Amino acid sequence: MLLLVLSLKGFSQQDSIGRKSCAIIFKGKVYAAGNDSLPYATVEIKEINKGVVTDEQGNFLIKNICPGTYTVECNYLGFKSIVKQITFNKNISYDFLMMSEDIQVQEVEIRDTKRKEEKNEMISQQRSELKGKDLDRTRGLSLGESLKSIPGVNSIQTGPSISKPIIHGLHSNRILILNNGVRQESQQWGSEHAPEIDPFIATKISVIKGASSIRYGSDAIGGVILVEPKALLSEPGVKGELNLVGMSNSRLGASSAIVEGAFDKKLKGLSWRLQGTARRAGNSKTSGYYMENTGFREENFSSALAYNKERFGAELYFSRFNTSLGIFTGSQVGNITDLQQALQNTRPSTPSYFTYKIGRPNQQVTHDLFKAKSFWKFKEAGKLEFIFARQQNKRYEYDHIPFNGSTNPALYLQIITHTTDLTWYHKSTKKISGSIGLNGITQGNVRAFEFLIPNFRNYGAGIFVIEKWKKNRLTIEGGVRYDYRWLRAYMLDNNTAKIVTPTYQFNNVTGTLGMLYYLRENLTFTSNLGTAWRSPTVSELFSNGVHQGAASYDIGNPNLKSERAYNFNAAINYSGKKINGEIGFYNNQINNYIYSKPDLQFIHTVRGAFPTFTYTQVNTRFRGVDLLASYKIRDSLTFTSKAAMIWAYNQTIQDYLVFTPANRFENSLKYNVGSLGKIKSIYFNLTNIYVAHQRRVPPNSDYTNPPAAYTLFNADLGFDLVIGRQVLNVNFSATNILNASYRDYLNRFRYFTNDVGRNFIIRLKVPFNLLQKIFFNENNVKQ
Amino acid sequence: MSKFKNQLMVCAAVLMLAACNKKEKAVAPTISNEALTTVQLVLINTASPFDKDTATWQQLLDVNGNPLPEDTSKAILNLHAGTTYTAQVLMYDKTQTPATNVSDEIKQRANYHLFFFQPTPISPSNYVISTTTTNIPGTVTSASGPYLNLTVNRTDYDTNNPPMQVGLTDNFVTGAASDGHLRVVMRHQPNVKNGTYDPGSSDADISFRVHIY
Repeated sequence: MLLLVLSLKGFSQQDSIGRKSCAIIFKGKVYAAGNDSLPYATVEIKEINKGVVTDEQGNFLIKNICPGTYTVECNYLGFKSIVKQITFNKNISYDFLMMSEDIQVQEVEIRDTKRKEEKNEMISQQRSELKGKDLDRTRGLSLGESLKSIPGVNSIQTGPSISKPIIHGLHSNRILILNNGVRQESQQWGSEHAPEIDPFIATKISVIKGASSIRYGSDAIGGVILVEPKALLSEPGVKGELNLVGMSNSRLGASSAIVEGAFDKKLKGLSWRLQGTARRAGNSKTSGYYMENTGFREENFSSALAYNKERFGAELYFSRFNTSLGIFTGSQVGNITDLQQALQNTRPSTPSYFTYKIGRPNQQVTHDLFKAKSFWKFKEAGKLEFIFARQQNKRYEYDHIPFNGSTNPALYLQIITHTTDLTWYHKSTKKISGSIGLNGITQGNVRAFEFLIPNFRNYGAGIFVIEKWKKNRLTIEGGVRYDYRWLRAYMLDNNTAKIVTPTYQFNNVTGTLGMLYYLRENLTFTSNLGTAWRSPTVSELFSNGVHQGAASYDIGNPNLKSERAYNFNAAINYSGKKINGEIGFYNNQINNYIYSKPDLQFIHTVRGAFPTFTYTQVNTRFRGVDLLASYKIRDSLTFTSKAAMIWAYNQTIQDYLVFTPANRFENSLKYNVGSLGKIKSIYFNLTNIYVAHQRRVPPNSDYTNPPAAYTLFNADLGFDLVIGRQVLNVNFSATNILNASYRDYLNRFRYFTNDVGRNFIIRLKVPFNLLQKIFFNENNVKQ
Repeated sequence: MSKFKNQLMVCAAVLMLAACNKKEKAVAPTISNEALTTVQLVLINTASPFDKDTATWQQLLDVNGNPLPEDTSKAILNLHAGTTYTAQVLMYDKTQTPATNVSDEIKQRANYHLFFFQPTPISPSNYVISTTTTNIPGTVTSASGPYLNLTVNRTDYDTNNPPMQVGLTDNFVTGAASDGHLRVVMRHQPNVKNGTYDPGSSDADISFRVHIY
């Protein structure tokens, strides 16, 4: 209400400036291809804050415009915005022809060549983005599950509730996740520790495939995932969005809401956002049975406050992620005999049923992120950006209630991370642009109850330079980085029971060189050569104990050195009228690659025998190809094909590496139906996913052979529903339509249970715009 | 520019303050919730209460909660041939002071636990174990022997309806003189106990040497 008053005042002031001929009328019609008129589209003259909503026939009318050249923007949900500069010196009639986003946007946005203007990003690397309708279609899923549609990206799962992304066969500490610009730091070394990130905060999730250490810091051997919220509002007003998701299989319910606004007048430049998500799911069901204790609960929120002027800006951001995850009880084998028994069973021996209740074992994790960011733009010196962030990750892991009835967790870990990033984007010329940056990090880890990893403190510092040179069709970029890392663990000596503090120092120089060349306007060739490194984690150095659910006994190796990667990738990208495609090759040589090697020995404990695994370093080579191609059979019908293949080879033992993603192929057919009355942008999509049997496995490295190949069929139907002035985005999906029984090689619980069966999903997205209403009222008043 | 410098200083100060709070230097003791270090079998001859034999299997933990080598030097039962013994299973967590009596805890939650006793070697035609103590799946049988002539019957019951056996107290019946091993497994079967081995997981899986003379 307050904003309404403010806006009205704004208008009257504008009028009272008193130019004589402020009586120009701007009118016209908004329609879509195929001559469908678009009611409730917005037409806005940016500079003077005048906007209207089209009527039932798609007509609009804006009165009382002063002469001048203004930016006019026309928006309709699901269509590309049209922004035009229009000079008003007489009454103008103008029709907007809106193009559906679907026609332009591919399944996964192929490289956007306009991105070359962004000076802080490497352009010679393979990059995929999930945004718009493609992102909407993953709403309600976890981050790991959301990214599976990108070729070369998989996820490592621990039952249906825990999923971690894999890029080009690498995961956990070998990829970086940037959550709103801050590197996510938690207990990410654990394959059953999923990233504590709410995908609902993002309007775009980008995946950079290949080593990206120079820009983003050490550890980014496999790639980087950027979870990016959209910029805060710059135009005064209040708007928001409500997302609702329901799934039949686990009876998952998810809701997420955003409300955001920007102030006007004296407070101009000040903007804010509040966002919250709740997700709840019960036991998942395979094709034939429920999986006991596989539900989860999640409550997240984030808030942002920013003040932006032309030359200075500051932003504060806080987010909390809070989850309780059930761990499938059927996976809780005691010892190796239990595991062998479980492997012989075709289904879990304990029958289950549906419940939302989360029993034991379970994990309870809270992740808080506080971020402060500011920038200064200088006339001559370019732009300086400073980010400070503090993250706190608390993890409680509960086992079965022990003999003594104690309700304590089996394990508690708390890690607090402080990061600072100072980046200077120097003034760019036509040919040269670049940046210099400093990064600092410190972490403190505290454990309690069981010993899994020790307490530790680490400090890290990095400095980098990235420069880009562009001439005509060619862009060349290069960068160098130096990193230093100090690590000290605090633990009890086994013999003396006194605190010992093993200390490590690592430092490395890394570099990158890449190029982008326009063979033709719509055909580009990119290639990148980069190095990256990663220091061993405390779990690899010091872990010692039974790995739950895997019936293995992991032994750390305190003599590990840092891993070093030499990454080469090349891609060709074509975007034509009918055919679009990208083919990318990569070769990632990783020396001193750390992995837990089976010792082929047993350790005897009171719980029986466990095979031991010791962390070892070997030289490896990850080689693969990612393919994405789409063919427009007709204007309304598009066929898209994706493929990802990877060969991961252990050069030391001259055999394949264990737990590498199997070949994956995805084919889909999308039919854009168009509009039927008030139902707009209707599309239907049918997808087939084929995951091959992984045959590239070394002998004696796993308890059982990799599971058979499987085929899944998914379908979805989406449309925009116009009810009065409100637009509703609706999507109905069905995954695993044929209710196939299958096990995936990358699911750590494949020993015990099939994967998730048929699932029906409904997704609703309701954008609401309080600003829009104000304009509408204004228009009515004036008429 | 000076404004910028000030801000940078503030941020640096915040960072240093935060970094100074070094909780990690205090190492919390390792508490293994489910530590079970010692399993004891106490056998008393039903015909002669003074004829008592005790066998102890023990594996202590180091300060980080990891198992030290197992101590099986006292895990030997010396039994008379053709004799019936009443047996009691005692379990302790010696990581606690005083040691926790785990078998008492198990007694309280008997509905979740079930013991299995597997004499080996066994013959495929003649499992020398009782009908009430089903054998442990996967036990290797020997065609040639010599077999351990021992039969074990559980004698205690839980409060399930109908009541099911537990195995904290048992009858050991020996046959002719022989040598072998007795594998003792405690299955943890919360809410799924049905009298069979399969549901749940193993909380203890250890072995005793048995000499019948």
